[in-house]
Amino acid sequence: MADKPQEIQPPNRLTKKVRKTGGPAPDKAILRALNAAEDLIDSYQGWAVDDLTALWKAYEDHRAESGSAKEILTMFEIAHGIRGEGGSFGFQLISTIGDSLCKFLEGKKALNAAGSEVIKVHILAMRAVFRQNLKGPQPAMERDLRQLLTLLRQKVR
Amino acid sequence: MSGYDFENLKVLVVDDSRPMRSLINSFLHGFGVKDMFEAADADEAYKEVKALNPDIVITDWRMPPTDGLDLVKNIRMDMDSPNPYLPVIMLTGFTELHRVKQARDAGVTAFLAKPISAAALYRRLCTVIDDQRPFVRVGKFFGPDRRAKNRSDQYMGVERRRGH
Repeated sequence: MADKPQEIQPPNRLTKKVRKTGGPAPDKAILRALNAAEDLIDSYQGWAVDDLTALWKAYEDHRAESGSAKEILTMFEIAHGIRGEGGSFGFQLISTIGDSLCKFLEGKKALNAAGSEVIKVHILAMRAVFRQNLKGPQPAMERDLRQLLTLLRQKVR
Repeated sequence: MSGYDFENLKVLVVDDSRPMRSLINSFLHGFGVKDMFEAADADEAYKEVKALNPDIVITDWRMPPTDGLDLVKNIRMDMDSPNPYLPVIMLTGFTELHRVKQARDAGVTAFLAKPISAAALYRRLCTVIDDQRPFVRVGKFFGPDRRAKNRSDQYMGVERRRGH
């Protein structure tokens, strides 16, 4: 017999703790948040270089091991972190490229030579973004890059 | 014009990336939150939930070896959970529809896609505070009502849910 759904109204803790007035206006709160994060955002490129180094190493290990599933998973996990962090720290193009690489790698157990080249293209693209300091919104470039990488992935499944 | 006063809020931030935890904490600090705590994985996070009894949890999804969904399930279902209704915001780079459904079915309160912005985090906090929907217990599910807001108030047709 199917369970009967039980609806429960939880205690309203948040409304008691958070007043809807008395704090800074939303625009001001958001500006303060950005100011608070400024130094951190400026430091991001240093950490990202470490991630790219790890990604390149995983790529080289994968080529040396003839494309084992373990290295593919490692690359996916690094790319997943990069896609989440890039745009969060002002480098939207990094998130775009990282997302494309994740889409290519997810679920794959093996890669051929063409597949390895796809990974290499993604890593080199990320390096170029940092080298040219392509920070901030780049909508046209982002659109073009996304289209290009999608075509590349489709050609090499 | 003034806005939300987050001064008394206690927030737990969970992410295996230290830069990401620092970024979210910086944003929260800018919003006026004073009590912020961190954890780097789901196991550590659940210990902090039991010790600190936070008001909101903001958690990443993928944090090997366990993950954000394991944390949500513990909060919702574990006998020792201090607050099974604890609002949980899932902050993740996974944005595919099936992932959103998976998070919802685990009992997540709200979903926020990475990369994040201060503005998006602010809006999501306000939404979670304003939209405190009822919880539903049915079968193996316990969590916020998964139906769209106000749908149960407006639906005028035959109730076809099992058990009715």
